[in-house]
Amino acid sequence: MSDYPDDLRYTTDHEWVRETAEGVRIGITSYAQEALGDVVFVTLPQVGDEVSTGDSCGEVESTKSVSDLYAPLSGTVTAVNDALEATPELVNSDPYGDGWMYEISLSEDADTSALLDAEAYQAELS
Amino acid sequence: MTQRTSPLHQAHVDLGAKMADFGGWDMPIEYPGGGVVAEHTAVREAVGIFDVSHLGKATVSGAGAADFVNRCLTNDITRIEPGKAQYTLCCNESGGVVDDLILYLRADDDVFLMPNAANTAEVVGMLSDAAPEGVTVTEQHDDFAVIAVQGPLSDEVLTALDLPVDHDYMSYDEAEIEGTTISVCRTGYTGERGYELIVPADSAKGVWDRLLAEVTERGGLPCGLGARDTLRTEMGYPLHGNELSPDITPVMAASAWAVGWDKPEFWGKEALVAQRVAKSSRVMKGLLVTGRGIPRKGCQVKDGEGQVVGVVTSGTFSPTRKEGIALALVERSVKVDDEVVIDVRGRELTATVTKPPFVKTQVRQA
Repeated sequence: MSDYPDDLRYTTDHEWVRETAEGVRIGITSYAQEALGDVVFVTLPQVGDEVSTGDSCGEVESTKSVSDLYAPLSGTVTAVNDALEATPELVNSDPYGDGWMYEISLSEDADTSALLDAEAYQAELS
Repeated sequence: MTQRTSPLHQAHVDLGAKMADFGGWDMPIEYPGGGVVAEHTAVREAVGIFDVSHLGKATVSGAGAADFVNRCLTNDITRIEPGKAQYTLCCNESGGVVDDLILYLRADDDVFLMPNAANTAEVVGMLSDAAPEGVTVTEQHDDFAVIAVQGPLSDEVLTALDLPVDHDYMSYDEAEIEGTTISVCRTGYTGERGYELIVPADSAKGVWDRLLAEVTERGGLPCGLGARDTLRTEMGYPLHGNELSPDITPVMAASAWAVGWDKPEFWGKEALVAQRVAKSSRVMKGLLVTGRGIPRKGCQVKDGEGQVVGVVTSGTFSPTRKEGIALALVERSVKVDDEVVIDVRGRELTATVTKPPFVKTQVRQA
Protein backbone atom coordinates (compact mmCIF):
# COMPACT_ATOMS: atom_id res chain seq x y z
CA MET A 1 0.00 0.00 0.00
CA SER A 2 1.20 3.46 -0.83
CA ASP A 3 1.70 5.84 2.09
CA TYR A 4 -0.92 8.03 0.38
CA PRO A 5 -3.57 5.88 -1.36
CA ASP A 6 -4.86 7.25 -4.68
CA ASP A 7 -8.52 6.61 -3.85
CA LEU A 8 -8.48 9.09 -0.94
CA ARG A 9 -8.67 12.89 -0.85
CA TYR A 10 -6.54 14.89 1.58
CA THR A 11 -6.47 18.17 3.51
CA THR A 12 -3.56 20.45 4.36
CA ASP A 13 -4.36 19.60 8.02
CA HIS A 14 -3.07 16.08 7.22
CA GLU A 15 -6.42 14.35 7.26
CA TRP A 16 -7.85 11.97 4.67
CA VAL A 17 -11.40 11.62 3.36
CA ARG A 18 -12.85 8.45 1.82
CA GLU A 19 -16.19 8.45 0.03
CA THR A 20 -18.66 5.90 1.37
CA ALA A 21 -22.20 4.97 0.33
CA GLU A 22 -23.74 7.41 2.85
CA GLY A 23 -21.10 10.12 3.09
CA VAL A 24 -17.42 10.20 3.95
CA ARG A 25 -15.06 8.50 6.41
CA ILE A 26 -12.26 10.61 7.92
CA GLY A 27 -8.88 9.87 9.46
CA ILE A 28 -5.36 11.26 9.74
CA THR A 29 -2.60 10.59 7.23
CA SER A 30 0.48 8.46 7.51
CA TYR A 31 2.50 11.67 7.71
CA ALA A 32 0.40 12.95 10.63
CA GLN A 33 0.65 9.76 12.71
CA GLU A 34 4.38 9.59 12.08
CA ALA A 35 4.85 13.20 13.17
CA LEU A 36 2.76 12.68 16.33
CA GLY A 37 4.51 9.51 17.42
CA ASP A 38 2.68 6.89 19.49
CA VAL A 39 -0.98 7.88 19.68
CA VAL A 40 -2.19 7.22 23.23
CA PHE A 41 -5.53 9.04 23.35
CA VAL A 42 -8.18 10.12 20.83
CA THR A 43 -11.19 12.36 21.48
CA LEU A 44 -13.87 12.11 18.79
CA PRO A 45 -17.10 14.02 18.10
CA GLN A 46 -20.40 12.41 19.03
CA VAL A 47 -22.82 10.80 16.62
CA GLY A 48 -25.38 13.45 15.71
CA ASP A 49 -22.97 16.39 16.04
CA GLU A 50 -23.24 18.97 13.26
CA VAL A 51 -19.81 20.03 12.00
CA SER A 52 -18.72 22.74 9.56
CA THR A 53 -15.57 22.78 7.47
CA GLY A 54 -12.62 23.80 9.66
CA ASP A 55 -14.36 23.15 13.01
CA SER A 56 -12.20 21.63 15.69
CA CYS A 57 -14.12 18.46 16.49
CA GLY A 58 -11.68 16.21 18.27
CA GLU A 59 -8.12 15.70 19.46
CA VAL A 60 -5.34 13.21 18.86
CA GLU A 61 -2.75 12.96 21.64
CA SER A 62 0.69 11.41 21.90
CA THR A 63 2.64 11.15 25.18
CA LYS A 64 4.02 14.61 24.53
CA SER A 65 1.59 16.61 22.40
CA VAL A 66 -2.00 17.30 21.41
CA SER A 67 -3.28 17.91 17.86
CA ASP A 68 -6.76 19.09 16.89
CA LEU A 69 -8.94 17.23 14.43
CA TYR A 70 -10.58 19.64 11.99
CA ALA A 71 -13.73 18.79 10.08
CA PRO A 72 -12.66 18.61 6.42
CA LEU A 73 -16.27 19.02 5.22
CA SER A 74 -19.65 20.12 6.60
CA GLY A 75 -22.21 17.57 7.68
CA THR A 76 -23.60 15.41 10.48
CA VAL A 77 -21.55 12.81 12.33
CA THR A 78 -23.04 9.37 11.65
CA ALA A 79 -20.42 7.05 13.17
CA VAL A 80 -17.24 7.16 15.27
CA ASN A 81 -14.55 4.53 15.62
CA ASP A 82 -15.15 3.27 19.16
CA ALA A 83 -12.16 0.89 18.87
CA LEU A 84 -9.84 3.85 19.32
CA GLU A 85 -10.92 4.21 22.95
CA ALA A 86 -9.20 0.97 23.95
CA THR A 87 -6.66 0.74 21.11
CA PRO A 88 -5.60 4.23 19.98
CA GLU A 89 -2.40 2.69 18.58
CA LEU A 90 -4.47 1.61 15.54
CA VAL A 91 -3.99 5.19 14.31
CA ASN A 92 -0.26 4.43 14.01
CA SER A 93 -0.45 0.87 12.76
CA ASP A 94 -3.28 1.29 10.22
CA PRO A 95 -4.07 4.99 9.69
CA TYR A 96 -6.21 4.42 6.54
CA GLY A 97 -7.92 1.26 7.77
CA ASP A 98 -8.75 0.28 11.35
CA GLY A 99 -7.38 3.61 12.57
CA TRP A 100 -10.19 5.64 10.97
CA MET A 101 -11.78 8.35 13.15
CA TYR A 102 -15.40 9.21 12.23
CA GLU A 103 -17.94 9.40 9.41
CA ILE A 104 -20.23 12.21 8.37
CA SER A 105 -23.17 12.54 6.01
CA LEU A 106 -22.47 15.64 3.97
CA SER A 107 -24.64 18.70 4.16
CA GLU A 108 -26.09 19.93 0.86
CA ASP A 109 -23.63 22.81 0.67
CA ALA A 110 -20.55 20.70 1.49
CA ASP A 111 -17.68 21.91 -0.67
CA THR A 112 -15.17 19.29 -1.74
CA SER A 113 -13.23 21.59 -4.06
CA ALA A 114 -10.52 22.35 -1.49
CA LEU A 115 -9.60 18.69 -1.00
CA LEU A 116 -6.34 17.49 -2.53
CA ASP A 117 -5.65 14.33 -4.48
CA ALA A 118 -2.76 12.09 -3.40
CA GLU A 119 -0.31 13.74 -5.75
CA ALA A 120 -1.17 17.27 -4.64
CA TYR A 121 -1.02 16.27 -0.96
CA GLN A 122 2.42 14.73 -1.35
CA ALA A 123 3.55 17.89 -3.11
CA GLU A 124 2.42 19.81 0.01
CA LEU A 125 4.64 17.57 2.14
CA SER A 126 7.80 18.02 0.14
CA MET B 1 22.22 30.25 18.43
CA THR B 2 23.56 27.19 16.64
CA GLN B 3 22.45 23.87 18.01
CA ARG B 4 25.01 21.82 19.88
CA THR B 5 25.42 18.14 19.20
CA SER B 6 26.44 15.06 21.16
CA PRO B 7 29.59 13.07 20.24
CA LEU B 8 27.04 10.38 19.31
CA HIS B 9 24.96 12.61 17.02
CA GLN B 10 25.88 10.76 13.82
CA ALA B 11 24.99 7.41 15.42
CA HIS B 12 21.43 8.69 16.05
CA VAL B 13 21.12 10.07 12.53
CA ASP B 14 22.30 6.71 11.16
CA LEU B 15 19.65 4.93 13.25
CA GLY B 16 17.01 7.23 11.75
CA ALA B 17 16.11 8.85 15.09
CA LYS B 18 13.55 11.63 15.25
CA MET B 19 15.66 14.54 16.51
CA ALA B 20 14.56 17.68 18.37
CA ASP B 21 15.98 20.57 20.33
CA PHE B 22 16.54 19.93 24.02
CA GLY B 23 18.12 22.74 26.02
CA GLY B 24 19.95 23.96 22.92
CA TRP B 25 21.10 20.45 21.93
CA ASP B 26 19.89 18.46 18.92
CA MET B 27 18.98 15.17 20.63
CA PRO B 28 17.08 11.95 19.76
CA ILE B 29 13.42 11.96 20.87
CA GLU B 30 12.58 8.46 19.64
CA TYR B 31 13.90 5.79 17.27
CA PRO B 32 12.29 3.92 14.37
CA GLY B 33 11.25 0.42 15.44
CA GLY B 34 10.64 1.80 18.92
CA GLY B 35 8.58 4.88 19.67
CA VAL B 36 7.98 6.35 23.11
CA VAL B 37 5.74 3.58 24.41
CA ALA B 38 7.90 0.64 23.23
CA GLU B 39 11.09 2.35 24.43
CA HIS B 40 9.50 3.08 27.80
CA THR B 41 8.37 -0.53 28.15
CA ALA B 42 11.82 -1.82 27.16
CA VAL B 43 13.33 0.04 30.13
CA ARG B 44 10.67 -1.19 32.59
CA GLU B 45 10.82 -4.83 31.41
CA ALA B 46 14.27 -5.38 29.83
CA VAL B 47 16.84 -2.69 29.12
CA GLY B 48 17.23 0.57 27.21
CA ILE B 49 20.22 2.68 26.21
CA PHE B 50 20.04 6.50 26.14
CA ASP B 51 22.42 9.19 24.99
CA VAL B 52 22.21 11.96 27.59
CA SER B 53 25.36 13.80 26.55
CA HIS B 54 23.43 17.08 26.60
CA LEU B 55 23.81 16.95 30.39
CA GLY B 56 26.46 19.43 31.48
CA LYS B 57 29.84 18.49 32.89
CA ALA B 58 32.13 20.60 35.02
CA THR B 59 34.94 20.02 37.49
CA VAL B 60 35.60 22.00 40.65
CA SER B 61 39.19 21.40 41.71
CA GLY B 62 41.86 22.68 44.06
CA ALA B 63 42.42 22.64 47.81
CA GLY B 64 39.06 22.91 49.59
CA ALA B 65 36.97 22.27 46.45
CA ALA B 66 34.45 20.01 48.23
CA ASP B 67 34.10 22.46 51.13
CA PHE B 68 33.51 25.27 48.68
CA VAL B 69 30.82 23.35 46.80
CA ASN B 70 29.22 22.51 50.15
CA ARG B 71 28.92 26.21 50.99
CA CYS B 72 27.08 26.84 47.70
CA LEU B 73 24.83 23.87 46.80
CA THR B 74 22.02 22.68 49.06
CA ASN B 75 22.77 19.06 49.89
CA ASP B 76 25.33 18.13 52.56
CA ILE B 77 28.43 16.78 50.89
CA THR B 78 29.74 15.52 54.24
CA ARG B 79 27.01 12.85 54.11
CA ILE B 80 28.97 11.08 51.34
CA GLU B 81 32.48 9.74 50.81
CA PRO B 82 34.72 9.86 47.75
CA GLY B 83 33.33 7.42 45.15
CA LYS B 84 29.75 8.48 45.83
CA ALA B 85 27.32 10.65 43.92
CA GLN B 86 24.74 13.02 45.40
CA TYR B 87 21.64 14.79 44.09
CA THR B 88 21.82 18.48 44.99
CA LEU B 89 20.39 21.87 44.05
CA CYS B 90 21.82 25.21 43.07
CA CYS B 91 19.49 27.89 44.46
CA ASN B 92 19.33 31.64 44.09
CA GLU B 93 19.15 33.97 47.10
CA SER B 94 15.33 33.76 47.18
CA GLY B 95 15.52 29.96 47.34
CA GLY B 96 14.39 29.39 43.75
CA VAL B 97 16.14 26.58 41.91
CA VAL B 98 18.69 27.68 39.29
CA ASP B 99 19.36 24.02 38.58
CA ASP B 100 19.25 20.53 40.03
CA LEU B 101 22.34 18.43 39.48
CA ILE B 102 24.28 15.31 40.39
CA LEU B 103 27.70 15.77 41.97
CA TYR B 104 30.39 13.12 42.06
CA LEU B 105 32.81 13.42 44.98
CA ARG B 106 36.12 12.18 43.58
CA ALA B 107 38.28 13.63 46.39
CA ASP B 108 38.17 16.53 48.81
CA ASP B 109 39.91 18.62 46.16
CA ASP B 110 38.05 17.23 43.11
CA VAL B 111 34.28 17.38 42.54
CA PHE B 112 32.59 16.56 39.21
CA LEU B 113 29.22 18.19 38.49
CA MET B 114 26.49 17.20 36.06
CA PRO B 115 23.96 20.05 35.66
CA ASN B 116 21.16 20.29 33.09
CA ALA B 117 22.11 21.25 29.54
CA ALA B 118 20.39 24.63 29.50
CA ASN B 119 21.64 25.65 32.97
CA THR B 120 25.27 24.58 32.80
CA ALA B 121 26.62 27.99 31.85
CA GLU B 122 24.77 29.68 34.71
CA VAL B 123 25.81 27.12 37.35
CA VAL B 124 29.43 27.25 36.18
CA GLY B 125 29.29 31.05 36.16
CA MET B 126 27.86 31.30 39.68
CA LEU B 127 30.45 28.87 41.08
CA SER B 128 33.32 30.56 39.21
CA ASP B 129 32.34 33.96 40.55
CA ALA B 130 32.19 32.65 44.11
CA ALA B 131 35.30 30.42 43.99
CA PRO B 132 38.03 31.34 46.50
CA GLU B 133 41.71 31.57 45.64
CA GLY B 134 43.02 28.13 44.70
CA VAL B 135 39.68 26.63 43.58
CA THR B 136 39.09 26.39 39.84
CA VAL B 137 35.78 25.69 38.06
CA THR B 138 36.25 24.12 34.61
CA GLU B 139 33.39 23.71 32.16
CA GLN B 140 33.77 20.40 30.24
CA HIS B 141 30.44 20.12 28.43
CA ASP B 142 31.91 18.80 25.16
CA ASP B 143 34.65 16.63 26.65
CA PHE B 144 32.46 13.67 27.57
CA ALA B 145 29.50 11.68 26.34
CA VAL B 146 27.03 10.38 28.91
CA ILE B 147 25.41 7.03 28.09
CA ALA B 148 22.64 5.67 30.32
CA VAL B 149 21.90 1.94 30.43
CA GLN B 150 18.67 1.44 32.36
CA GLY B 151 16.42 -1.49 33.16
CA PRO B 152 16.41 -4.87 34.90
CA LEU B 153 18.87 -6.35 32.37
CA SER B 154 21.39 -3.49 32.58
CA ASP B 155 23.79 -5.55 34.73
CA GLU B 156 23.91 -8.24 32.03
CA VAL B 157 24.73 -5.63 29.38
CA LEU B 158 27.60 -4.14 31.36
CA THR B 159 28.94 -7.51 32.48
CA ALA B 160 29.15 -8.62 28.84
CA LEU B 161 31.66 -5.80 28.31
CA ASP B 162 33.55 -6.54 31.55
CA LEU B 163 32.30 -3.31 33.09
CA PRO B 164 31.71 -3.11 36.86
CA VAL B 165 28.17 -3.65 38.18
CA ASP B 166 26.34 -4.01 41.46
CA HIS B 167 27.99 -1.16 43.31
CA ASP B 168 25.66 0.71 45.68
CA TYR B 169 23.00 3.04 44.34
CA MET B 170 24.45 6.56 43.92
CA SER B 171 28.05 5.35 43.80
CA TYR B 172 30.48 5.00 40.92
CA ASP B 173 33.44 2.96 39.79
CA GLU B 174 36.07 3.50 37.13
CA ALA B 175 36.78 1.03 34.34
CA GLU B 176 38.88 0.57 31.20
CA ILE B 177 37.20 0.10 27.83
CA GLU B 178 38.14 1.02 24.24
CA GLY B 179 41.57 2.08 25.52
CA THR B 180 40.19 4.74 27.83
CA THR B 181 38.96 5.21 31.39
CA ILE B 182 35.26 5.72 32.00
CA SER B 183 33.11 6.26 35.10
CA VAL B 184 30.27 3.81 35.67
CA CYS B 185 27.72 5.38 38.02
CA ARG B 186 24.74 3.60 39.55
CA THR B 187 22.43 6.49 38.79
CA GLY B 188 19.61 7.25 36.39
CA TYR B 189 16.35 9.08 35.77
CA THR B 190 14.02 6.19 35.04
CA GLY B 191 13.31 4.56 38.40
CA GLU B 192 14.84 1.29 37.19
CA ARG B 193 18.08 -0.33 38.23
CA GLY B 194 20.70 1.10 35.90
CA TYR B 195 23.92 2.92 35.20
CA GLU B 196 25.18 6.15 33.66
CA LEU B 197 28.57 5.99 31.92
CA ILE B 198 30.74 9.08 31.56
CA VAL B 199 32.89 8.44 28.49
CA PRO B 200 35.58 10.67 26.91
CA ALA B 201 34.06 12.08 23.69
CA ASP B 202 36.68 10.47 21.41
CA SER B 203 35.75 6.98 22.59
CA ALA B 204 32.01 7.49 22.83
CA LYS B 205 31.03 5.92 19.50
CA GLY B 206 32.95 2.70 20.16
CA VAL B 207 31.45 2.30 23.64
CA TRP B 208 27.92 3.15 22.41
CA ASP B 209 28.11 0.62 19.56
CA ARG B 210 29.24 -2.20 21.84
CA LEU B 211 26.61 -1.41 24.49
CA LEU B 212 23.86 -1.05 21.87
CA ALA B 213 24.70 -4.49 20.43
CA GLU B 214 24.38 -6.07 23.89
CA VAL B 215 21.14 -4.17 24.56
CA THR B 216 19.44 -5.21 21.31
CA GLU B 217 20.61 -8.82 21.72
CA ARG B 218 18.58 -8.90 24.95
CA GLY B 219 15.45 -7.47 23.39
CA GLY B 220 16.23 -3.96 24.58
CA LEU B 221 16.03 -0.75 22.56
CA PRO B 222 17.84 2.53 22.00
CA CYS B 223 15.64 5.05 23.81
CA GLY B 224 15.10 8.74 23.18
CA LEU B 225 14.34 11.64 25.46
CA GLY B 226 10.59 11.09 24.89
CA ALA B 227 10.69 7.84 26.86
CA ARG B 228 13.07 9.38 29.39
CA ASP B 229 10.36 11.97 30.14
CA THR B 230 7.50 9.47 30.58
CA LEU B 231 9.76 7.26 32.74
CA ARG B 232 10.76 10.12 35.04
CA THR B 233 7.18 11.42 35.27
CA GLU B 234 5.98 7.99 36.45
CA MET B 235 8.63 8.24 39.19
CA GLY B 236 7.66 11.80 40.16
CA TYR B 237 11.24 12.93 39.50
CA PRO B 238 11.30 16.71 38.96
CA LEU B 239 12.37 18.20 35.63
CA HIS B 240 13.97 21.64 35.77
CA GLY B 241 11.72 24.06 33.89
CA ASN B 242 8.62 22.14 35.04
CA GLU B 243 8.71 21.08 38.71
CA LEU B 244 11.78 23.19 39.52
CA SER B 245 12.56 26.72 38.39
CA PRO B 246 14.02 29.98 39.69
CA ASP B 247 10.47 30.64 40.99
CA ILE B 248 9.95 27.20 42.53
CA THR B 249 11.91 26.26 45.65
CA PRO B 250 12.92 22.80 46.90
CA VAL B 251 10.41 23.22 49.74
CA MET B 252 7.63 23.50 47.15
CA ALA B 253 9.01 20.78 44.88
CA ALA B 254 9.15 18.06 47.57
CA SER B 255 12.94 18.21 47.22
CA ALA B 256 13.66 19.33 50.80
CA TRP B 257 15.37 15.97 51.36
CA ALA B 258 18.17 17.26 49.09
CA VAL B 259 18.82 20.23 51.37
CA GLY B 260 21.38 20.07 54.21
CA TRP B 261 19.30 22.15 56.62
CA ASP B 262 21.90 21.93 59.40
CA LYS B 263 24.71 23.34 57.25
CA PRO B 264 25.92 26.79 58.34
CA GLU B 265 25.47 28.14 54.83
CA PHE B 266 24.35 27.44 51.27
CA TRP B 267 22.87 29.64 48.58
CA GLY B 268 19.27 30.54 49.40
CA LYS B 269 19.38 29.17 52.96
CA GLU B 270 17.74 32.14 54.67
CA ALA B 271 14.77 32.26 52.30
CA LEU B 272 14.33 28.49 52.31
CA VAL B 273 14.39 28.19 56.10
CA ALA B 274 11.75 30.94 56.34
CA GLN B 275 9.56 29.23 53.75
CA ARG B 276 9.96 25.86 55.42
CA VAL B 277 8.82 27.29 58.76
CA ALA B 278 5.93 29.28 57.26
CA LYS B 279 4.37 26.15 55.67
CA SER B 280 2.22 28.30 53.41
CA SER B 281 3.67 27.73 49.94
CA ARG B 282 2.16 25.38 47.39
CA VAL B 283 3.71 21.90 47.30
CA MET B 284 4.14 19.20 44.67
CA LYS B 285 1.72 16.28 44.59
CA GLY B 286 0.86 13.56 42.09
CA LEU B 287 -2.50 13.44 40.31
CA LEU B 288 -3.87 10.18 38.96
CA VAL B 289 -6.65 10.66 36.44
CA THR B 290 -9.68 8.52 37.26
CA GLY B 291 -11.51 9.00 33.95
CA ARG B 292 -10.15 9.13 30.42
CA GLY B 293 -7.82 11.94 29.40
CA ILE B 294 -4.33 13.35 29.70
CA PRO B 295 -3.48 16.37 31.85
CA ARG B 296 -0.84 18.73 30.44
CA LYS B 297 1.60 21.29 31.81
CA GLY B 298 -0.24 24.53 32.67
CA CYS B 299 -3.69 22.96 33.24
CA GLN B 300 -5.47 24.38 36.29
CA VAL B 301 -6.36 22.14 39.23
CA LYS B 302 -9.64 22.85 41.06
CA ASP B 303 -11.25 21.54 44.22
CA GLY B 304 -14.81 20.22 44.59
CA GLU B 305 -16.17 23.79 44.80
CA GLY B 306 -14.48 24.84 41.58
CA GLN B 307 -11.83 26.95 43.35
CA VAL B 308 -8.41 26.92 41.65
CA VAL B 309 -6.03 25.13 44.05
CA GLY B 310 -3.05 24.44 41.82
CA VAL B 311 -1.47 23.98 38.42
CA VAL B 312 -0.09 20.98 36.54
CA THR B 313 3.70 21.15 36.07
CA SER B 314 4.06 17.92 34.04
CA GLY B 315 1.40 15.66 32.62
CA THR B 316 1.41 12.69 30.32
CA PHE B 317 -0.04 9.28 29.58
CA SER B 318 1.61 6.65 31.77
CA PRO B 319 2.66 3.82 29.44
CA THR B 320 2.98 1.47 32.44
CA ARG B 321 -0.39 2.24 34.08
CA LYS B 322 -2.20 3.17 30.84
CA GLU B 323 -3.71 6.20 32.59
CA GLY B 324 -3.24 9.95 32.63
CA ILE B 325 -0.82 11.13 35.33
CA ALA B 326 0.41 14.53 36.41
CA LEU B 327 2.69 16.33 38.82
CA ALA B 328 1.16 19.52 40.15
CA LEU B 329 1.91 22.37 42.53
CA VAL B 330 -1.12 22.58 44.82
CA GLU B 331 -2.25 24.40 47.96
CA ARG B 332 -1.44 22.69 51.24
CA SER B 333 -5.16 22.19 51.88
CA VAL B 334 -5.08 19.57 49.09
CA LYS B 335 -4.31 16.18 50.69
CA VAL B 336 -3.43 12.73 49.42
CA ASP B 337 -6.57 10.76 48.41
CA ASP B 338 -8.57 13.99 47.83
CA GLU B 339 -10.49 14.17 44.60
CA VAL B 340 -9.73 17.19 42.38
CA VAL B 341 -10.69 18.35 38.90
CA ILE B 342 -8.16 19.19 36.19
CA ASP B 343 -9.26 21.67 33.53
CA VAL B 344 -7.89 20.20 30.29
CA ARG B 345 -8.68 22.74 27.55
CA GLY B 346 -12.16 23.29 28.94
CA ARG B 347 -12.89 19.63 29.66
CA GLU B 348 -12.97 18.58 33.31
CA LEU B 349 -11.00 15.50 34.27
CA THR B 350 -11.42 13.99 37.72
CA ALA B 351 -8.21 12.94 39.44
CA THR B 352 -7.07 11.55 42.78
CA VAL B 353 -4.25 13.24 44.68
CA THR B 354 -1.33 10.87 45.31
CA LYS B 355 2.20 10.83 46.63
CA PRO B 356 4.50 9.84 43.73
CA PRO B 357 5.95 7.54 42.44
CA PHE B 358 3.11 6.28 40.25
CA VAL B 359 5.09 3.09 39.56
CA LYS B 360 7.20 1.30 42.18
CA THR B 361 10.85 2.35 42.02
CA GLN B 362 13.50 -0.34 41.46
CA VAL B 363 16.65 1.77 41.75
CA ARG B 364 17.93 0.16 44.93
CA GLN B 365 16.82 -3.33 44.03
CA ALA B 366 19.57 -5.90 44.62
